[in-house]
Amino acid sequence: MDTFIEQLPIVVHSLNIGFLQTLKLFFVTLIGALPLGLIICFGSKSKIAPVRFILKIFIWIIRGTPLMIQLLIIYYFPGLVLHNPIWGGDESGRFFASSVAFIINYACYFSEIFRGGIISIPVGQDEAGLVLGMTRSQIFFKVKLLQMVKRILPPMSNEILTLVKDTSLARIIALQEVIWAGQAFMKGSQGISGAIWPLFFTAIYYLICNGLLTLLLGGLEKKLEYFR
Amino acid sequence: MFKKFIKVAAAMTMCLCLTACGAGNGETSSNESNDVSVEESSSDDSAATVEDMAKIKDNGKLVIGITDFEPMDYKDDNGDWIGFDADMAKAFAESLGVDAEFVEIEWDNKALELDSGSIDCVWNGMTLTDEVLSAMDCSNAYCNNSQVVIVPKDKADDYQTVDSVKELNFAVEVGSAGAAEAENNGLNYTEVTSQANALMEVAAGTSDAAIIDSLMAAAMVGEGTSYENLTYTVGLNDEKYGVGFRKGSDLVAALNDFFKTSYEDGSMTKIAETYGVQAALIEQ
Repeated sequence: MDTFIEQLPIVVHSLNIGFLQTLKLFFVTLIGALPLGLIICFGSKSKIAPVRFILKIFIWIIRGTPLMIQLLIIYYFPGLVLHNPIWGGDESGRFFASSVAFIINYACYFSEIFRGGIISIPVGQDEAGLVLGMTRSQIFFKVKLLQMVKRILPPMSNEILTLVKDTSLARIIALQEVIWAGQAFMKGSQGISGAIWPLFFTAIYYLICNGLLTLLLGGLEKKLEYFR
Repeated sequence: MFKKFIKVAAAMTMCLCLTACGAGNGETSSNESNDVSVEESSSDDSAATVEDMAKIKDNGKLVIGITDFEPMDYKDDNGDWIGFDADMAKAFAESLGVDAEFVEIEWDNKALELDSGSIDCVWNGMTLTDEVLSAMDCSNAYCNNSQVVIVPKDKADDYQTVDSVKELNFAVEVGSAGAAEAENNGLNYTEVTSQANALMEVAAGTSDAAIIDSLMAAAMVGEGTSYENLTYTVGLNDEKYGVGFRKGSDLVAALNDFFKTSYEDGSMTKIAETYGVQAALIEQ
C-alpha cells in the first residue's frame, strides 16, 4: 500500500498529461467533423449525380474500413509511397495526422446521422415554406434545422461518447494519449516499473469524462423539449 | 414493368461504376508501384546508399525512435531522456554536430517508421533478429542479451532447465526475439502485444510462463514491482543489441566508426557503468 501511495501522484500526473492529449484530439475532431459532416451530408443529397455517387463511395470506404487502418495509412503512406513524410516524426505531427484521420472518419458517420435527421422532417414543411415564398435555404435554416438538431441529438450523443473512447486508437501511430501513458508504467517509466494498476486506472478518466458529457447532452436534450 | 427496368438499370450502372472504379485504382496503384521500382532501381544503381547524413545535417537533428525501456531509454525526473542508449545517441548526434531528438514509437511499427522517414534510426536495445536484419540496416552489435523464462516465484525451482519448461503455456510479445525462441524450442505459446502484457498474462494466471529480454526482466519483476511473485529462470539463447537504420543508409558506417572510437577512449564503458550494463557490453 505504501508504494501505491508513493506512486499515485507520479502516475496521476503522467495520466493527466495523457488525458490532455485525449481531450485535445476529442475536441479537435468534434470541431472539424461536425461542419465537414454537414457538408458531406448535403453533398450526398446533391442533385448532381457524380457528386452524390463519389460521396457515397467515399462514405462506404471510410465506414467500411477500420479506423486503425485509416490512421496507419494517413500517417505512413506519405513517407512510404510518396517518399515525403509530410507529418514529421515529432509529437505534433502525430497529433495532426491523428486529427485528420479522426475528422474524416467521424464526419462520415455524422453525415449519415444528419441525413437521417433531414429526411425525418415531413415534406409538408418544405411545401408550406415554398407556398409562403421562402427560399430553400431559408426553409432549411429557419424551419427545419432546429427540429433536426432535436431529433439527431440521441444518436449524436452515442457517437460523441464513442469518440471519447475511440481516441485511444491513435496510440497505433504513437500518439501518447492516456492509455499509452498508463501502459508506460507496465514496462517502466519515471522510476515505476512493472506496475499494472495505472492501465486500469485510465478507465476512471474515461468514465468521469463521459459522465460529464452525458449530463451536458442530457441537459441540451431537455432544453430542446419545448417543441414536439 | 418500367419500375423494374429502372431498378435493373440502376443496379447495372452501379456495378459498372464499381468495376470502373476498381480498374482505375488498379491502374494508379500499378503506376505507383512502377514509380517506386524505378526509384528503387535507380537508387540501386548509385551503390544503394541513402544519403541520410546530408538529410540530418540539413534538418540539424537526428530523430531517434525509442520506447520507454529502462535502462536503455527512459525519462529522468525532469522528463529528459536518459539511459545507456539515450546517452550514446546524444553523444553520436553531438559528434555529427546535430541535435538528438527522441520520439516514442509503437514498437510493432519500427520498420514502418524508418521507411516512411518519420524517424532516422531505432536505438532502443533492439535485438538483432533475422526479421530486424531483413527490414533494416544495422550497426555492429554493442550489447549482449538473452531471452529468459518468467515463472511464478513459488514454482521457479521446478523450471530451471529448457526441458522442464516444455509443458508450460507461454505468453510472448508478437514479433519479438522471445517469440522466435518459443518457436525454436517447440514451446506452446500465445502471442500478445507487448512484453509487459506477457508478464501480465503470467501474473493473472492466463499463461504459465513468459519469455522476455533479460535486461528488461531485471527491471520489471521482483521486489518493488507489481510482479513481486514472478522471477526469471532459464536463459534460452544469446543475442545481441544493435541500432537500426534505413536500408542503405550512410549513417551505419558513421555509427560503427563512432562506436569504435568511443570504445577505445573508454567513454562507452563509462556510460555503460552509469546504467549498470557494462558486463553486457561488446568490444568494438
